[in-house]
Amino acid sequence: MRHSEPVAAVPSPTDAALITAWQGGDEQAATELVRRHARALARFLVGAGAPEAELDDLVQETFIRAFRAVGAFRGQCQFRTWLLTIGGNVVKDAHRRAKRERVVALPDGLRAADGDPLEQTEAAEVEGRLAAGLGRLPRLQREVFLLRAQQGLEYEEIAAALGTTPGAARVHYHHAVRRLKEFVK
Amino acid sequence: MKHDAPLDDARLVQVARGLGERAADRLDVERAARGVVARWRAEPRHLAARPALIGIAPAWLRIAAALVLVVGGAVALGIWRGGARGLAAPTEIVDLSDLSAGELNELLSSVAETPGAEPVLPQDVGLDDLTASQLRVLLESLEA
Repeated sequence: MRHSEPVAAVPSPTDAALITAWQGGDEQAATELVRRHARALARFLVGAGAPEAELDDLVQETFIRAFRAVGAFRGQCQFRTWLLTIGGNVVKDAHRRAKRERVVALPDGLRAADGDPLEQTEAAEVEGRLAAGLGRLPRLQREVFLLRAQQGLEYEEIAAALGTTPGAARVHYHHAVRRLKEFVK
Repeated sequence: MKHDAPLDDARLVQVARGLGERAADRLDVERAARGVVARWRAEPRHLAARPALIGIAPAWLRIAAALVLVVGGAVALGIWRGGARGLAAPTEIVDLSDLSAGELNELLSSVAETPGAEPVLPQDVGLDDLTASQLRVLLESLEA
């Protein structure tokens, strides 16, 4: 009996291929892009100050804005990095709306969560302080910090996405770390 | 963790990596994907994804094209009228008192055809009855 050859895994399409397919009218490609990047985007949005109650809506809004502007995306950075910077704008606009509507949302870290209560409480406390500290940073420092520390991106990638230099991104990151340490201690 | 102890860099990064993780885990990605597609379908056609130049420029291109047509049309009309009348383009100062009645009539009718000027009908005006200074005032008022 002949053993069957291992089936070679079909490589998943690149983001660029999905974008091209979507521009050609393939909605499944758009769905795949959302599947691929929605969780990373959600984490970034929370770090940028998005209330969890609005997270689903803000994720969708970010993708819609990205799809509207995708013709302007020239591949200067990864699609995900570009998406995250759009997410930063979406959160900023959400904060403006919230100010107008006088809605006060609890930070994610202060909400009830499943799991070990003590561990959850401590983690939530630290996260809550970090989130509060991030909220007090200038926007550029906050986004550079999140892209570097939370998303694990290189300075070159961050600089390309934010339209600055790697050296400047590094400086913003170190300023952010120094100030966050003061806030969070 | 002691609350009065400063976080070291590694700990800060570790906390940052976990920031929003639970919320992201609770996100219903499939529902979000369906929502994005549904919202996109509801978008007006003109907002569909297109290259920025094509998506943004048409309004400006249309305005520019309209300006080119208007200016070009006006220039072409001026050239055509000038050529039809055989009038020289350069303007020169003419002493009206040196012109004959026939020349004044021709000049007045050409001014009367200028777009925007009030029409002056020959039958309404007896140019032979006007003095040179009256004709000058009349022409100046028409040019204004």
